[in-house]
Amino acid sequence: MPRTTTVESSGCPPLRALTFDVLGLIKVVEARGGQNGDAAKVVERWGEPDASKCVLSASILDRESRPLIGIARKSGSVEIISAINGDLQVQIPDLCQPEDDSIVGVHLLQKHKSGSSSRSCALLASTTKGHVRMESVKLGKTPEKSVRDPSPTVWNVCGSGNILCSKVSEDENHALFGGKGPPKDNLGIFTPTWFTCATFLSKDDHRKFVAGTNSHQVRLYDISAQRRPVISIDFRETAIKAVSEDIDGNTIYVGNGSGDLATFDIRTGKLLGCFIGKCAGSIRAIARHPELPVIASCGLDSYLRIWDVQTRQLLSAVYLKQHLTSVVFDSHFRSEAPAPQVETAAEEDKAEATPVKRKKEHRGTRKAKSKSSKRSKCEED
Amino acid sequence: MGRLEAQYKLKYAHYPARSVRWAQSPKSTLIIGGIKISRSDFFRRPLIPWREKQILQPRRGVRAAGSSRTRVQEYIKDKMKDLLPSAIKNKEKRSEVHAKLKHQKKLEKKKKAKVREAAEKQALELGEEPPARPVPRTIENTRELDETVCKPDDEELFAGNDADEFSCILKEERTPKVLITTSRFHSSRGPAFIDELISVIPNTHYHKRGTYDLKKIVEYANNKDFTSIIVVHTNRREPATADALLVIGLPSGPTAHFKLSRLVLRKDIKNHGNPTNHQPELVFNNFTTRLGHRIGRLIQSLFPQDPNFRGRRVVTFHNQRDFIFFRHHRYIFETKESKEPQSKGKGKKEEAKTQEKVITRLQECGPRFTLKLISLQHGTFDTKGGEYEWTHKPEMDTSRRRFFL
Repeated sequence: MPRTTTVESSGCPPLRALTFDVLGLIKVVEARGGQNGDAAKVVERWGEPDASKCVLSASILDRESRPLIGIARKSGSVEIISAINGDLQVQIPDLCQPEDDSIVGVHLLQKHKSGSSSRSCALLASTTKGHVRMESVKLGKTPEKSVRDPSPTVWNVCGSGNILCSKVSEDENHALFGGKGPPKDNLGIFTPTWFTCATFLSKDDHRKFVAGTNSHQVRLYDISAQRRPVISIDFRETAIKAVSEDIDGNTIYVGNGSGDLATFDIRTGKLLGCFIGKCAGSIRAIARHPELPVIASCGLDSYLRIWDVQTRQLLSAVYLKQHLTSVVFDSHFRSEAPAPQVETAAEEDKAEATPVKRKKEHRGTRKAKSKSSKRSKCEED
Repeated sequence: MGRLEAQYKLKYAHYPARSVRWAQSPKSTLIIGGIKISRSDFFRRPLIPWREKQILQPRRGVRAAGSSRTRVQEYIKDKMKDLLPSAIKNKEKRSEVHAKLKHQKKLEKKKKAKVREAAEKQALELGEEPPARPVPRTIENTRELDETVCKPDDEELFAGNDADEFSCILKEERTPKVLITTSRFHSSRGPAFIDELISVIPNTHYHKRGTYDLKKIVEYANNKDFTSIIVVHTNRREPATADALLVIGLPSGPTAHFKLSRLVLRKDIKNHGNPTNHQPELVFNNFTTRLGHRIGRLIQSLFPQDPNFRGRRVVTFHNQRDFIFFRHHRYIFETKESKEPQSKGKGKKEEAKTQEKVITRLQECGPRFTLKLISLQHGTFDTKGGEYEWTHKPEMDTSRRRFFL
């Protein structure tokens, strides 16, 4: 007898997700919802396949008017495109040399000092070698007319080792960098932890964050309590490759290198359940929808999968042909006529300059607070 | 309706029709179509005809006509049709019934074939299109629909192929150079298998494993400009029990982990040939999905891409139900002159009448083995921090008709 299980699936709610792959393509996947529970499908493809334009990291500025996407390419450039039609808004070339350094994370900040109009945005990009750069860009009608900040803020977050992940907290006052420490010394006594992914746990508390390590551990850190991890959970056998937080602030989603996707209650470290049966390849990115109870996962098996958070059932799977590197949700998508929507809480505006706190995890030698003050100094400069 | 039948129906009307079941009573009687037969009677030979005489003969001295008797027999036969031979407990009887059924089926099949052939012949004579032959349903052609199957008009696929790790070898910008090594301990059939692999794959170099880590070997091979590494694992002196053949693409992966089974070495193949040093031709069958495509390309990149057709050597990787069968052959085209029987006696026309017929002959060179993909890892060998592009998990085996390659 074939071991088959049929589970009643309520179908995919209307949503819009954008995926980024190793050939530099951006694919827009939309699910229309509706009674017949239409499956999600690819509606648009932006860009031409080109291996040198491989997307390394992507971030969405999720807002009602002029949503933007920041894309870090393998060639060392960062592009800002419109999330509606994929038009190039700004291109920042040569952020780093592609031969010896690559961009690890790019974040579009919602609130920044130079006003909060939809015609400008700020961008934080970090590279493997630890160079971080923050600059603001005024968008023009064409890429040529956009004006870049002439004096971007640039600083270094680590002297040796590699940065592998970066994350900006929800209030955008703090950033988190994690990575691989320098190789162990000739005595080989201590190997610093190799972080592969990290995320802040809740919106209002930047001190708690979760990190996944290469030695298949998920760790909860609370820098207000201690420098060592508060909870450390072993998960399967391969390296953790993606961690994402839920909006409730205590559930996290974990994906690893052999395609296991699970959800944990991080307060107790208890495994709530696995998303089983489908994923065959490493999970590179997990995205939680800001409103709907769904998550999207994508990775090396070239599928974008939409899962229900409560039942942990697969709602939809879309085959996208390439190894995917990143996925983001566009939460302002409505399947029918666009009606005025309630803005998400993250939409508030703050015009003041916000210091960004850096947290380097792999060495853990410096105090986080001192870094914070340093960063504010940079800001003043 | 005959009188007898009417009587019979009336008498047994309260029994459920067409039911066959053993009664609950310890006497254990069988009820067939409302007729009670004790178990022992049922399996004794005279069976129904005799029994029915007892039951169905009218008791009041009224003799049944012959015709009504056959009718009753038919009725009982009809009832017996639903009884499977496997429900009969007596082995002799069961095999008898089974053989009979089988024979009947065979006859029916023959009849069908005859009818079909006749129809085809007729259609040919009439110059029509013969009716389409039914295609047998096999597991392969009823495989579950897979959207990852590559389509020939998929430009993204070709763009992906151009960008992948093997393209420089397959475009002949780099000549493949393969390093073969083993697990730490190996003996017996392992070295013999490696010898044969070296004879199959050109430009292969065997290096002793020693006590090196595989990661160190990968590093070494990268420095020496190798393009692939093959690691043959042995267990209990036998490569086919170790479940592992690693193929590592260099410099940046991927790493395929195969289960190796059913290994037959050259010397164990009857009438085997000995391969020459020519570069072999390659045949890849049924690598349909995106994953299969990638595996195919990985294996293809072990071989040089310019075969020596003079060598008439062919290496086949045939995928069937996710098992990859490896075969190695030599082939030859022979022209055979076949004389037509009419041309006897007439010496002049004899030469003209001889037909040249080309036949192909194959000779297996060995070895022979079967591979099954266990995992495909992104990047070179790394068990700790490696990312898998595909791994087999037990929960993926939801159906016999689901294949991944």
